[in-house]
Amino acid sequence: MRKRVNVYISLFLVMAMLMAGCSGSGSGTDDSAEPPGNTSDKKVKLTAIMTKHALTKPLAEMEWLQKVEEAAGVEIEWQEITADWGQKKGTMLASGDIPDLFIGPNVITDADFAQFQGLFQDLSGMLDQAPNVQKMFNEKPDTKLIATQPDGKIYGLPKYQRFWPASASRQFINQKWLDELGLTMPTTWDELYEVLVAFKEKDANGNGDPNDEIPMDWPGGIGGYFNPAVMLGSMGITLTDGSPQGYFVEDGKVKNYLTDERYKMMVAFLHKLYRAGLINPEVFTHDYTKYQSVARGEGDTAKVGFTWGWVASDRFGQQLASQYASMPPLKATADYAGELSWSYDYYSLNYGTNHIVMSAKSKQKEAAMRFINELYAPEVGMQVLFGSIGPNIKDNGDGTYSVLPPADDKMDPGTWKWTSTMADNGAFYIPDSLELTLGTDMQEVLGQSEPLAEALEVDPEKDVFPGMFIKYSTMDNNTMSLNNTNVMNLAESSFAKWVTKGGIEAEWDAYVKESEKAGLNQNLEIMQKYYDEYMSKN
Amino acid sequence: MRSPKGIQSFKRDYQLWIMILPAILVILVFNYIPMYGIQLAFRDFDFTKGLTGGEWRGLAYFEQFIDSYLFTDLMRNTFLISLASIVLGFPAPIILALILNQIRKKRMKKLMQTTVYLPHFISVIVLVGMLNVLLSSETGVVGHFMKSIGLEHINLLASTSTFIPVYVLSDIWQHCGWNSIIYLAALSAVDPQLYDAAKMDGASRWQTIRYVDIPALVPTIIILFILSMGSILSTGFEKIFLMQNALNLPVSEVIATYVYKIGIISNQFSLASAIGLFNTLINFVFLFAMNAISKRVSNTSLF
Amino acid sequence: MDHISARVTGKEFAFRVVLALLCVVIFLLIAYPLYFIVIASFSDSTLVSTGKVLFFPKNISFFGYQEIFKDMRIWTGYRNTVFYTLFGTLVNMLFTLPAAYVLSRREFRARRIIMFFFVVTMFFNGGLIPTYLLMKDLQLTNTIWVFILPFSVNVFYLIIARTFFETSLPKELHEAAVMDGCSHFTFFFKVALPLSKAMVSVIALYYLVGHWNDFFTALIYIRDTKLQPLQIILRDILLSNQVFANGAGTGGDAGGYAQRYADQIKYGVIIVSTLPILVIYPFMQKYFEKGVMIGSIKG
Repeated sequence: MRKRVNVYISLFLVMAMLMAGCSGSGSGTDDSAEPPGNTSDKKVKLTAIMTKHALTKPLAEMEWLQKVEEAAGVEIEWQEITADWGQKKGTMLASGDIPDLFIGPNVITDADFAQFQGLFQDLSGMLDQAPNVQKMFNEKPDTKLIATQPDGKIYGLPKYQRFWPASASRQFINQKWLDELGLTMPTTWDELYEVLVAFKEKDANGNGDPNDEIPMDWPGGIGGYFNPAVMLGSMGITLTDGSPQGYFVEDGKVKNYLTDERYKMMVAFLHKLYRAGLINPEVFTHDYTKYQSVARGEGDTAKVGFTWGWVASDRFGQQLASQYASMPPLKATADYAGELSWSYDYYSLNYGTNHIVMSAKSKQKEAAMRFINELYAPEVGMQVLFGSIGPNIKDNGDGTYSVLPPADDKMDPGTWKWTSTMADNGAFYIPDSLELTLGTDMQEVLGQSEPLAEALEVDPEKDVFPGMFIKYSTMDNNTMSLNNTNVMNLAESSFAKWVTKGGIEAEWDAYVKESEKAGLNQNLEIMQKYYDEYMSKN
Repeated sequence: MRSPKGIQSFKRDYQLWIMILPAILVILVFNYIPMYGIQLAFRDFDFTKGLTGGEWRGLAYFEQFIDSYLFTDLMRNTFLISLASIVLGFPAPIILALILNQIRKKRMKKLMQTTVYLPHFISVIVLVGMLNVLLSSETGVVGHFMKSIGLEHINLLASTSTFIPVYVLSDIWQHCGWNSIIYLAALSAVDPQLYDAAKMDGASRWQTIRYVDIPALVPTIIILFILSMGSILSTGFEKIFLMQNALNLPVSEVIATYVYKIGIISNQFSLASAIGLFNTLINFVFLFAMNAISKRVSNTSLF
Repeated sequence: MDHISARVTGKEFAFRVVLALLCVVIFLLIAYPLYFIVIASFSDSTLVSTGKVLFFPKNISFFGYQEIFKDMRIWTGYRNTVFYTLFGTLVNMLFTLPAAYVLSRREFRARRIIMFFFVVTMFFNGGLIPTYLLMKDLQLTNTIWVFILPFSVNVFYLIIARTFFETSLPKELHEAAVMDGCSHFTFFFKVALPLSKAMVSVIALYYLVGHWNDFFTALIYIRDTKLQPLQIILRDILLSNQVFANGAGTGGDAGGYAQRYADQIKYGVIIVSTLPILVIYPFMQKYFEKGVMIGSIKG
């Protein structure tokens, strides 16, 4: 028995030693971290958070970033975040325990600025220290509008490049199947129906199994990118950034398609397709991995006939991409005479809100501003987006540049870009005057966007909701997010039910009323108010 | 007369006080000190005035939640899911422990025990991913099986009537073995003389379970049951969120997922606190009621 | 007499058949999905998610494991986690078991009020922000102590331990010990603990696994990469292969190549993070053997 007690005592001792050992080793690592800072004592130390894409390699390995830090005379201790930023951020801001700089797409939101007054540095008075940022504001006045809060302050700086297409979603149909079956590309909903029926019934992929074709597929739900909501364009509705919550602008009026008669028509059409077995029966339950996997087929045998995606090589894999053709928007009916439209996403793809933010508590504001200025230099901007000159970008020697193909030949250019650098999550400005030849991936995207060009000739002033330029008050913001959650709860489940089981005719009126009760009208009023205010100012 | 008695009892118990003091200190510092934050549920969050400096709003945030459009749906869904979890999920580990306890062959027993507790370590993301693959109506094992017995019209992942069963059963699958460990430990403390006595009386194994094993588990069962009633409004968040799709949304939207969706995490601290406190109060009431009932009926209670 | 014993063995036989059947069913139900995880961790992800991999791995590749172990942070993660787990559990036990023992003593007058004081914390908490501020004031943020000291008493486990002490320590035992002049300290260390090995090992296991799986503490309180535990790193690796749904729209197809192996990584991560902790279980298991403790003491 005595032995037992001894065991516990020795456990205590071990613990005490562990404690001592740990605190010792802890301070030891701190010491070892000191010297490099001391030797180059001219450099100012800063702390920063970057919310990077999960594929992105450690920031310390980016050559261009080392050069930028050097040029600005700063040494930044980075905290790199790839997941759960929302959860971390709330605590961090509310406790006021923040680093000197934040970098990331909308890393701190306008709502945060409004709520955490005094935590972030107003940069409007410091712009003279950052000529590169001023240059961006002068050359692209939209960037200044995006950055400026209602009270004239500037807390977060945007990013800008011109390279991305006007829409994130492209529409693909399997051209090989069309050819095999002697069909032509559909131009109306009815023709689409006929084509999909043929895909289903006639063993379109020719592998002997007439039942393994999925005529039509999308990631699930209503709204957002790669979604049948773009078919509302067949009746003239221009979505903004995929309109994930249904809001769009038509002739200067803010509307929501979720309670629009044209939406009702589209859902009824989708139900007709679903009932005929033309839509993937798992459309509402599959996850993104499966959605992608299915479209990659088996070897040379494609499985999916008609769908949406960013680019064919990503959607169907390199092996099958050549079977697919990009398709222009459909007309709702053969006698429809109005304009065709699509989802206009140019602003959200090419501009970005609040990509870099400074702490008001920072003791090294001048140094931080120097860093920002270096970051917004044109040649740096291009490296933030595509990677360092050398491994990722070629300097052609005549003031022009080209994006190099991946060094790892197993990697596609998109993955390569996201691995090599901050990419779209960084803060940068690439002037329109900079001549840069893009990689094959972007050329493919732009090529496949051409069939949409006509439908995307919309008037951004009149038919696009300027979401990025509008700054809501904290109260309106909270009200809207609450209402949207309620509205989408109803809309998502009704949409899924109507597509799979039908019944939209009978339930429509009750649904519209219910949506209003859930707060849809209140949101439309709020958005209209801000929209009018915005339009009157510009 | 009183105070000498008190001193006496303290003298007698001073060692006990020493033993419990560290625990009291830890709880006091890390659990009680931050509790001033609860008042956020009754105040506006105003960053410039400090955490508790915002304007006093009384019950406004509670009203906002109770008046919200989805309130009744949320309460119903949350209650149903946790009720089903308790009704089906609570007895499962007890039964499993009784079964495992009956296995005589040592190697068999070890193999079984190790297997049943493994699923506990699977992360929620992977579990839901697996459910999607295995239960898929088109390509999954279970989907194929259901087709073969003529139930192809049921899509397990996409129906309002199958969401709760799939959720609860997969939960049992994952945690039943793990939760049975505590009962196995309790069974190991049964005095072997009791088994010998039962054998002498000619009791069958079934009777031994009924009259020796189960009574030995009763105190643990009661305590764990009281505690489980205290989580009647706390469903997990991540698993439900990941299992949600447009077709099961009418039954799968619960308080936790709703709170997440209205963007509370980053912004609406007061509303989040109010909803949290509302949950807590209901949970606490249930725990209290259960504790009182149990004290009357079985003389076992938490406090 | 004969036919009675025959009837008993008949019953016994039926019991065994039912038991064996039950065990087989339970075993298969649990083992198959586990087996599935293993084969999915080195099969082609596209085949896995389209339901082509059911019983045997297909298109075997170990890309998932390569990706996981390529990340050098994983070894620091392992080291940190092992340290936090062992050290943390030790502290947990030191704080929890004596307290549970005290609360099990019926002669301890304050037990009900203290119990209530503990139980309240299972329900009411001040929220993340006040807790964060407290940790900051105590200078625990971004140190190893934040994994070890705060919340080192889990009230749920405390209650389980207390219940066990209450029910499995016979009253007479303590009375006899007191007669021998045994203090609470000696009784706790020499009698109560040795008699409760099963419960102690269960609570230790629960605490161990709790520390092992914890990523939230690090998520909120740790900024230094060198202090990150395994789970945070694995979560990073896992999520980095799950984000394509958003990746595509943001100006580049971040999918393609890695997409094909997403599931391999997903399942591989489970195996990498679970294997070490599995090793512990057999050590605990031996304490569950029936009646070991009480029998040995009495004998």
